[in-house]
Amino acid sequence: MTMQTHIKTFAPARPIWCAGCGDFAVQGVLEKSLRKMDIPPHKLMLLAGIGCSGTIQNNLPCYGYHALHGRVLPAAIGAKLANPDLTVIAAGGDGDGYAIGAGHLVHTFKSNPSIIYIVMNNSNYGLTKGQASPTSPMGYRDNAESGLDSILMGLSFPAATFLARGFSGNPEQLERLMESALEHTESKKGFAFLEILSPCVTYYDTHREWRARVYNIDEEVGYDPADRGMAFQRSVQLKDQGRIPIGHIFKGEHASLESLILNKTELPPAQHKIGSDGHREQYDKFIDSYMG
Amino acid sequence: MSSNNGRPILEDVNVIVAGQGGDGSLTVITMLAELLRTNGLNVYTERDVLSRIRGGHAAATMRAFTGDRYCIGSNINLLVALDEEAVEKNARQLDSKSIVVYDDSGGPVPSVLPEGTKVYSAPFNRIAMRTMRRELYKNSIAFGVVGRLLGLEDETLRETFIKHFQRMGQVILEYNLEALGLGFHLADEMGIHKDEGLYKIKKTAPEKRLLITGNESVAFGFMVAGGRFFCGYPITPSSEVLETLQKWLPRCGGVARQTEDELAGINMAIGAALTGARAMVATSGPGFSLMQEGVGHCGSGEIPLVIVDCQRSGPSTGMPTKPEQSDLNLMVFGGHGDFPRIVLTPGHPDDCFYLTAEATNLADKYQCPVFLAMDQALSQNIATVEPFDLDGVSAVPGKRVEAEDIEKLGVYKRYEFTEDNISAFAAPGTPGGLSLVTGNEHNEWGLVSTDPVNRVKMMNKRMGKIEVAKKELPRGRHFGDSGAKIGFIGIGSLFGVILEAMEDLKKEGIKTQYLQPRTIWPVLEDIPAFIDKCSRVYVVELNAQAQLAHILIHQGADPGKIINILRYDGIPYRPAELVKRVLEAESGSKIKKGKKEAKLQ
Repeated sequence: MTMQTHIKTFAPARPIWCAGCGDFAVQGVLEKSLRKMDIPPHKLMLLAGIGCSGTIQNNLPCYGYHALHGRVLPAAIGAKLANPDLTVIAAGGDGDGYAIGAGHLVHTFKSNPSIIYIVMNNSNYGLTKGQASPTSPMGYRDNAESGLDSILMGLSFPAATFLARGFSGNPEQLERLMESALEHTESKKGFAFLEILSPCVTYYDTHREWRARVYNIDEEVGYDPADRGMAFQRSVQLKDQGRIPIGHIFKGEHASLESLILNKTELPPAQHKIGSDGHREQYDKFIDSYMG
Repeated sequence: MSSNNGRPILEDVNVIVAGQGGDGSLTVITMLAELLRTNGLNVYTERDVLSRIRGGHAAATMRAFTGDRYCIGSNINLLVALDEEAVEKNARQLDSKSIVVYDDSGGPVPSVLPEGTKVYSAPFNRIAMRTMRRELYKNSIAFGVVGRLLGLEDETLRETFIKHFQRMGQVILEYNLEALGLGFHLADEMGIHKDEGLYKIKKTAPEKRLLITGNESVAFGFMVAGGRFFCGYPITPSSEVLETLQKWLPRCGGVARQTEDELAGINMAIGAALTGARAMVATSGPGFSLMQEGVGHCGSGEIPLVIVDCQRSGPSTGMPTKPEQSDLNLMVFGGHGDFPRIVLTPGHPDDCFYLTAEATNLADKYQCPVFLAMDQALSQNIATVEPFDLDGVSAVPGKRVEAEDIEKLGVYKRYEFTEDNISAFAAPGTPGGLSLVTGNEHNEWGLVSTDPVNRVKMMNKRMGKIEVAKKELPRGRHFGDSGAKIGFIGIGSLFGVILEAMEDLKKEGIKTQYLQPRTIWPVLEDIPAFIDKCSRVYVVELNAQAQLAHILIHQGADPGKIINILRYDGIPYRPAELVKRVLEAESGSKIKKGKKEAKLQ
C-alpha cells in the first residue's frame, strides 16, 4: 500500500455517466466497501462489460479490464481460477448480462466461482440511446416481451450461494449488501450475485417508480434467506403485487468452483514461475505413457 | 501359402479394416499397431469415420514400416472388409497384389476388385452369432486370420488380446480369446497355417518411440512450455486436446476447463492470460468462427493467447470428421479491424509438440494471438515419433515487471511505447503495476482514447511487433533436391504425403524439392525465395479456393510460378494420387472435373 503512493500509474478517470445516474451511487458504495474491507488496489481485479456501467473500472485504482460485450463473466472466472488470491469483481449492465451474456450467467450460477457480479440494471440500453433491454417491461418502446427476473432464475440453481438486489436510491442498504458480497467471496464461499436497480435518468427514468415499488426484504420479520423455497415464494408473491424485493434474498452453501478444481498442493496457474516450475517428473511420466 | 521360405521381411505394410461404425475396426487396428510396435516396427494409423457413434461406413488404416514414413502408403496390402460397402469404398486403394479378408455373411464379395486380388472369405458375422451369440466378436475372429496373414505368431496375438482386454474384465477377455481361437481355426481351414503368413517379421527391440497424435502432442507442447490454463468446448476433431489437458494439466497445477461454449472458452482463457498465466484454447471451424471477436480483442488489448484450430471440412458444420485446410483465411485475415497475429503450421506430431511450445513462448513475448493451424488428419492420426527432447524446449517468459522493477521505474504504463513495440506486463496482484486493459483504442495508460495521433501511433506499435517477431519466427524446412526445378509447398498432414510423392516422382526420373512452411503469417522471406528458385511450384492444399497460395501471392510470391493442386472431397491424399496429379499437370493433360487445377493469374 505504501509503495502505491509514489508510483505513477493511470489516473482514475471521471465517470462518463449523466448527472443523476444510479451508477454513481454504485461506484461510491463499491469504493467505500473496498476501503472498509481493506482490499488494496493491486489485489483488486475489476472487470467490466460493455455499456454505460462498463466504464466503472476506469474510475478507481485497480487492475481493470474492459471485456467484450457479454463476456465479462467468463473472463472474471478465468482470472479467479488463474489467481484466486485476487479479489475479482465483474460489473456490467442488464443488456450485457441478461441478453448477449445470459448464457454465461446461467453457467456462473451453476459453477459458483468466488467472484462478485454487480449488474447495474437500468432496464434499457442507455449507451445506445434507450432501446428495450431484457428487463424492460412490456410496452416500453413497443417492447413485446415481459422482463426477466435474474434472481428468480438464480434460485433455480442448486449451486447458487448469494443472491441479492439493491437499489441505488438506498445507499445505506446497498453498502451492507456490497460488504456481504465481499465477505462472501473473500471467505471463498462462491458466487456473489448483486443486482442493483440503477435508474437511467436520460432514457428511462424509473427512479420514482422504483422507489415506490422496492420492498426491503431484510426488514421482513420471519424472512429466512437460507430458505430457498421461501425466497422463491416471496419473490413471486411480491412480483405479483407489483413490488420489487431488495436485500439479501438468498444465501446458500455450495463448494466454490476454485476449491473443487484447483490442485491444492500446487501454486495456482498465474503464480507458476515460467521456465522453472519443477514439473519435469510429470513431463517424463507423460512421455512414458505414450511409449509402446 | 504352403511354405514359409522366401517370405519377404515386413518392411512396409498397409492394412485397412473397414465395416460399419461399431464393428470394431479401430480396435483391430489399434491392437495390430501395438503388436507390430513391440516387434520393432514403426506405425502410422488413420481413421475414417462419420460423425456418429454407431453405423455408417467406418474404416481404420494402419501402416507398419521400418525407417521413416509420415503418412499412409499408396497401396493397401491387406483389406479386412466386414461388409460389402467396405470393399466398394476401399477398392480404389487396392492392386493386383492386395489381399482381401472378407466377411461374406451378407453376400459374396462385390466384383469391384482389381484383377489378381486374392480373397479369403468367411462368414465372420454368422460364425460369431452362431458360436458366441454376439456379432461384436466378429472382429476378434477376423483378427486371428489377419494376424496369421501378417506372419504374426499365434501366441503373440493371444498375448496382445490379454493385454488389451484384461482391463475390461475376465469374462470379456475369455470371450475374445475364444473368438481369436475361432479365427485361428478359420485360418487353418483357409490354408493359412501357423508361421505361413505373407511376411516374415524380423523381431527387433522396439526403438524408443512415442505413439502419439498431433492433438496430444499439441497439449504436451503447451504444458512443457509452461502453459497452465486451457479452455475448450468439445468439437471434432479438436476434443483430444481438451481431454489430454484435463488429464495432465491439473497434475502440474494447471487448469483445463470445459466451458459452456466457445465464446466462454476464449474469454475465460483471456481472463486467465490477463493474470499472467499462459493460456490456450483449441477448437475447430465452427467454434473458431464463434471465437473471432475474442481473437481481435487479444490483438487490440495485447493479450497473449495460443489458439489451436484443428481444421475440418467446412463451411458451416461441413464434414466434421474429414480433414481440410480451409480456415487459413480466417486465421490470417479473420476478425474485424487490423491487428497483429502469428500463424504456425506444424506438419507431423513431433512438429506439433515443438511448434506449440514455440507458440506459447511467442504469444507471451509478443502479447498477441498465435495460431496453430492443424487439420483433422494431423490432429487425430497416430504416428510413431522420436521421444520429444524436453531439454531442447524452454519456457521463456515475456517482458514482465515485478514490484521491485516498478518501484525503481516509479511509473508504470501498460501500453508504453517502446523501441521493440512491446510494453512490459505487470500481473494483477503486483503492487504498483495498476493498469487498464481494453479492446477500445487506448492511450499508454490503457484509458480509452480516440485521439488521432495516439490512434496511429498505437496501431503502428501493435502492428510493429510482428516486424520484430519476423526475425525469430520458425522458418520452413527444406527437403529434396535443392537444384530441382519443380517445387512443392504444402502444410499440415500433407507433409508426409508430399515427401513420399517426391520419392515416387524421383523413381520416375522427376527431381523435386519441397518447402514445408512452418509460419504462414507473417509470410517470411523463405517462401517467396523458395518459389523464386524453382521454375514452378505445386502448392498442394486441402481446400477449394487455394487459400494458402493466395496468402503467399498477397505477400509477394510470384503467381506465375504457382500451380495449385486442390482437394476438398474429405479424403486424405495418398502419395500415388498426388503423383498422378503432378504427372497430369506436368504433361498438361486435362484434369477430372471437380478437381480444379488452374494456374493462378
